[in-house]
Amino acid sequence: MRVVERLNGTRIVAMPAAINTATWPKGALAFRLAPDEVLVTTTVAASVVDDAHAIVERETGFSAAWVDNAEAMDFLERECDWELPRERPAFAQGMVAGLPLKLWFEQDRVLMVVASPYAADLAERLR
Amino acid sequence: MAAHRLRIHCPHCGVRAVEEFAYGEIPATPDALTDVDARDVDRAFMHSNHEGPVSERWFHTFGCRRWFTVRRDARTNEMLPLPE
Amino acid sequence: MNEFVERAIDLRWPAAIKPAYDVVIIGGGGHGLATAYYLATRHGITNVAVLERSYIGGGNSGRNTTIIRANYGIPEAVRFYQRSVDLYAHLEQETDRALMHKTKGLLWIAHSEAGIRQERARAAVNTACGATTEYVDPAAIGEICPQIDLTGGGVWPVYGASYHPAGSTARHDRVVWAYAEGAMRLGVDVFQRTGVIGLRMERGRVTGVETSQGPIAAGVVLSAVGGHVTTIASMVGLRLPIRTHPLQAFVTNRYAQAFHPIVASSGLGGYASQTAKGEMLIGAEIDRAPSYAYDSGYPFLQHCAFRMMTLLPFLRDLRVLRQWTGVCDMSTDYSPVMGLTGVDGFLVTTGWGTWGFKAIPAGGEQLAALIATGRTPDLIAPFSLDRFARDRTMADRGSAGTH
Repeated sequence: MRVVERLNGTRIVAMPAAINTATWPKGALAFRLAPDEVLVTTTVAASVVDDAHAIVERETGFSAAWVDNAEAMDFLERECDWELPRERPAFAQGMVAGLPLKLWFEQDRVLMVVASPYAADLAERLR
Repeated sequence: MAAHRLRIHCPHCGVRAVEEFAYGEIPATPDALTDVDARDVDRAFMHSNHEGPVSERWFHTFGCRRWFTVRRDARTNEMLPLPE
Repeated sequence: MNEFVERAIDLRWPAAIKPAYDVVIIGGGGHGLATAYYLATRHGITNVAVLERSYIGGGNSGRNTTIIRANYGIPEAVRFYQRSVDLYAHLEQETDRALMHKTKGLLWIAHSEAGIRQERARAAVNTACGATTEYVDPAAIGEICPQIDLTGGGVWPVYGASYHPAGSTARHDRVVWAYAEGAMRLGVDVFQRTGVIGLRMERGRVTGVETSQGPIAAGVVLSAVGGHVTTIASMVGLRLPIRTHPLQAFVTNRYAQAFHPIVASSGLGGYASQTAKGEMLIGAEIDRAPSYAYDSGYPFLQHCAFRMMTLLPFLRDLRVLRQWTGVCDMSTDYSPVMGLTGVDGFLVTTGWGTWGFKAIPAGGEQLAALIATGRTPDLIAPFSLDRFARDRTMADRGSAGTH
């Protein structure tokens, strides 16, 4: 069974403009969960966003797995009934195989992120 | 009118099946009744239940986890543009 | 000739709409036609028109799951539905029509301590009000329905149930046709493809209807529509405690064994019975968002089937044959709204939510008595529209969420 690993990230809730202009540490991915919320895949300092009222918290409640393109597309074709983004890279979120999934599409692979209580379910569905 | 399978347009995440969302009701706005008691009864029990376009709140449980307003034709479930 | 092969229905369609009727009933479903039938048979009132915008029985009367029962949670409701159970029991004799009425017994399963308390209370209230219901333990449930997995698939264990022996089913469109036939034989005019587009008012009183076929004057107008009552009521500026929600149901292919009772579960939000053809008929709760669209969807099937399979594992071997949707007028307190509206000359019978079919005979009989005498019968007085303003709501959600 595939290993879905805990993601050591940072969750930031801030003014949308502050999130738009922030720069993230090199190599980190940033998923825009909502206009005023972003999940970064590494630890970042509070000063990263220019918003005095921003909430910047360490976030370990998500788990994730990289899946190669062919397998990911095969899985999504079966388990997802909404339109996937065509550009790369791209972020999308919604129900996949009955789970609330967050997807990060790169050229040759897809990162599947899920709230940790569902990690075992995702691993089982990916087989 | 052809019925549309109810799909909600989340302004952040896009078009998704209704199962991804929580329904947040149509905000209660009693008609301008002059009788205060009647207005309370209206607010507590009556519904506009309009057979046509309605504005209502939805919460995207499976996506951005935000409340937003959509306009929907209750006869067909078609999504409509929000009024300006 | 047997109950499945019937002689042709003798529906005497009128030639033309008369300019005026004593009573105009909007909606040619079970409630509208039953009211016309009882007006004609019990009160000799036959100058009656029933207006149906599509075909008779094509709305919720043809979309329900045909369950008849009286095991509600409040005394007023138990007495009313028991009257309907009694009328249904003799309806085949009265109308001389094979309605495929079959007494099956109804199990309402408890999966929790709260569920046990609710079903015990139901049994006590029912029995006190003349509708026999007893509380039964899992061993007795196994006797009544051996197909039930008493462990609930390990997830929804069966702790007990209320058992309502009078629970029954009947063929829904035959009920509609029987009432139509009986009313039309006595001179009631029923018009199909005749939609109402307006209500006429003179000096605060409703005096007729505007239809797609022209105006009709009326002594009294009764709205017996399902799904569109808010629109009809709004024609006279009346607001109702009603929201219209879709409700979905499905049938499987034939189950080769006999499945005798009706099995319901509030915990699982579903219920099952077997049709005369042997199909398993399964219904659920209403969709959350109000809508007038007859949408059906796969997620509902998946959710409902998954849950019912925990209780009835044999469903795994069956396949879904078809699925459909009706639209339910849910009242704020989950009880019907019947009778006078405060607008002279305009009556409603609505709020039939998910419990309309079982109420057809009693609803029709009581509305007919109200129209004939001008006096609200005691049996339906608790369900008048003004109960909301009088702070006398008939809250009974626990009995009405499903079937």
